Amino acid sequence: MKGWNLTRRGFLKASGIVGGGLVIGYMVTRDGPPLPVADIEGALTPNAFLQLTPDNMVRFYFPRDEMGQGAMMGLTTLIAEELDYPLNEIEVLFAGAHSAYNNPDFNLQGTGGSTSMKVHFLPLRQVAANMRALILDAAASDLNVSRSSLTTHDAQVIAGDQAFPYAQFIETASAAELPESATLKPKTEFKYIGKEIARIDGQAKSTGTAEYGIDIEVPNMHYAMVKRCAVAGGTIKSFDAVPILATVGVTDVVAIDSGVAVVATSFWQAKKAVAALTVEWNLPELANISSQQIKSDYQQALQDEKGDSYSEGDITQGFTAASKIVEREYWAPYLAHAPLEPLNAVVRIENGEADLWSGTQFPGVAQGLVARYAGLPKEKVRVNSTFLGGGFGRRGALTHITEATQTAMATNKAIKLIWSREEDIQNGFYRPASLMKIKAGIDERGKISAWQATRVGGNLTPSVLGVVLPGVLPRVPSGITNLITGAANSVFDGWSIDAVSIEGLIDDYDFANKEIKHITVDHGLPLTFWRSVGHSYTAFAKETLIDELAEFAEADPVEFRKQHTQDNPRLQQVIEMAGQAMQQWQNELGRYVGFAAHGSFSSYVAEAAQISIENGGIKVHKIVCAVDCGQVVNPDVVRGQMEGAIMFGLTAALYGNIELENGAVKESNFHNYPILRMDAAPTVQVVIVDSDEAPTGVGEPGLPPIAPAVANAVYAATGKRLYAMPFRL
Amino acid sequence: MTKFNLNGRAVETIDSDDTPLLWVVRDTFKLKGSKFGCGIGQCGACTMHLDGIAKRTCILPIIAVEGKSVTTIEGLGTPENMHALQAVWTEQGVPQCGYCQSGQIMSAAALLETNPDPSKSEIDQAMKGNICRCGCYPRIKKAILDVAANRKVKKLQLSEVATGPFPEDVS
Ligand code: FES
Ligand code: FES
Repeated sequence: MKGWNLTRRGFLKASGIVGGGLVIGYMVTRDGPPLPVADIEGALTPNAFLQLTPDNMVRFYFPRDEMGQGAMMGLTTLIAEELDYPLNEIEVLFAGAHSAYNNPDFNLQGTGGSTSMKVHFLPLRQVAANMRALILDAAASDLNVSRSSLTTHDAQVIAGDQAFPYAQFIETASAAELPESATLKPKTEFKYIGKEIARIDGQAKSTGTAEYGIDIEVPNMHYAMVKRCAVAGGTIKSFDAVPILATVGVTDVVAIDSGVAVVATSFWQAKKAVAALTVEWNLPELANISSQQIKSDYQQALQDEKGDSYSEGDITQGFTAASKIVEREYWAPYLAHAPLEPLNAVVRIENGEADLWSGTQFPGVAQGLVARYAGLPKEKVRVNSTFLGGGFGRRGALTHITEATQTAMATNKAIKLIWSREEDIQNGFYRPASLMKIKAGIDERGKISAWQATRVGGNLTPSVLGVVLPGVLPRVPSGITNLITGAANSVFDGWSIDAVSIEGLIDDYDFANKEIKHITVDHGLPLTFWRSVGHSYTAFAKETLIDELAEFAEADPVEFRKQHTQDNPRLQQVIEMAGQAMQQWQNELGRYVGFAAHGSFSSYVAEAAQISIENGGIKVHKIVCAVDCGQVVNPDVVRGQMEGAIMFGLTAALYGNIELENGAVKESNFHNYPILRMDAAPTVQVVIVDSDEAPTGVGEPGLPPIAPAVANAVYAATGKRLYAMPFRL
Repeated sequence: MTKFNLNGRAVETIDSDDTPLLWVVRDTFKLKGSKFGCGIGQCGACTMHLDGIAKRTCILPIIAVEGKSVTTIEGLGTPENMHALQAVWTEQGVPQCGYCQSGQIMSAAALLETNPDPSKSEIDQAMKGNICRCGCYPRIKKAILDVAANRKVKKLQLSEVATGPFPEDVS
């Protein structure tokens, strides 16, 4: 890996800025904007990620976001391993916004798609190994001994029976050439990677000391809440600010792009005032639409069969060869993400510079949004990231950053903007609703001979583009970004290759003849990525139908899946593992089991669910989950993500439903948009494949199989197949 | 003006009578460990102890706290001096995003105060008011059972707790 173009000696301090009590100096790269790392006297900063200070402390500028998925633990583990520095003593800082911290998979500074470990496993180890090599080179020179006579142990260079702190060699190291491809440790020498070590963020999060965006305060900060149209896309017709301005504590009432912002000296005052404000709206077309209409429009589109398709093999011949053909339709509703920390942002604009404090999945886009609406160059916007109180995709859609910036500009105040839970459920971005149809044929030998799938619904990519683009291109006028987004919408209209909207619908199994068709019908509710994206609904359709086909073939559902994964050995292995665990449950009275498997984010997961029917409802007791996510950096984080994804998926399977009435979301808070609670949570056993393959996704792949596993168990219990989420008996 | 006891100290505030305790604690007294999740008593992120009882403070007007004792997560234990639940939470890697965990721990601490050896279903009943969107439930339950089993729970006299950080310059 290339070292960053950092002038290692004589850092130029571009500006001394006070931000949240920290004095941050900027260091200058040879080309491009300065790196947002601390300017510490006498420190060694060989790259954008690591800093060794004279007191032998190591600071790690963590380039991703921590929203619960454990990336902070995982990536810090890589640094500790190759730098040979005690894991728990590394000071981890959220990196500021800079292209040096881009996610190579996105070419943006973003966290999502279960990519963090996949994209950083080798590069970050290399960064740390290079730094260790640099220190060893400097030590050899300073101690006047051969490089090969030296080794390291826990932040110290070992020379015979003497030990020297790394920091002792900073001066020489600062002048030396940074090695670019130091040898990485072999697996056999790993001290941290693959070991059972508790997460480094556990203590802060157990003592109330972890800092989230909602906890940030800056001097003279005011609180803002926004009144938005109940129907997405509505614009202000009129509002009467006068009575609201007379309310105690209220300082400003201003129109911004998304609605009317009410600013007050406390959150409670702002909340009461915004509730009292009445706004007349110009309603968009969506206001004529209710959930029933959406479903019937999707049904109609499915019958019209317009849309583009992609196929492999010969689907016609596949159906000719079939001795039995089944055709099923599946429904998945819109869903809200509902991260437990409501959206929020603190923005301060003064003296031609701006600061943003927020936990987002796209700090680089956030920087661009603040720059755009504050009328500043990007380089004048500092992004101070915090922990995220949950993301799940929701913190990738950053209209709240725009709102806070526009409010700060309109009022000339430092603004803390907080969304209520009601706004979160009703005014957000949603997992798209989907109607799916799969027609499949099995031949005499019980082999699937044809698999033809259609998905109807809104397309994710253009919707996400519309959200991200204004931040990626802050200098490009909104007319043009709208144009590009509009173009994307029409390009994607009826185009089957919006991969994220259909992913997982025709994959995983040995389908010799398969076809996928996509029909775009979009009523205009804003859409975005939701944990496991397209897989969150496609796995439900695919895996419940596979179960039905196994029954038609008179095959055991696990064996049937194994027979159809000859070309997918890693999926086959997890099917085998979870299947074995499932066998042990089969004799429990009144309990029924279901099985499902699904590959996503380059990982492979199979799950078995044990349920019973109690008081006319589904009670989920136990889950076994087998996962292959390549080489494991922290088994406990992997287990935690499987557990969490299962609970998240169960919420969707059992309760999740966003319904529209006259274009407005009916659900509003946790009483009518319920989240799985402890008394409904099953126990989870996770088995992890011991693998030397490259690490792959962990945050999302545990989710897709859970809904079909439960649906298949319900069939075992009741004889009734489920074709719609959330499940109703 | 409301006077009450916060983590062992006498305090007073001029926040309006209807201001929920949560916002008084977070924004007037600057203790940010207690969280806002729903504002309607449905998620438990805002849980504190009021005279030793776990309460949803997002719907508890400050006037109702007059003369009472409030303990927050900061008063339960600190990184230097953790409550047994916090220590086990840390050791067992319970938190994911962590946002619900102050509330979870406060609910669990109140449970163990009244029922030092709860069954699984008693834990479910005591904890089902606390949502964890990240789905840490199996770990939360195990951590509570382990603390109970180890009988590590200090016999905490809530009225005597004065170890939590406290801003000197409160209004
Ligand atoms: S914030 Fe109080 S219960 Fe949710
Ligand atoms: S750890 Fe994220 S909500 Fe519980």
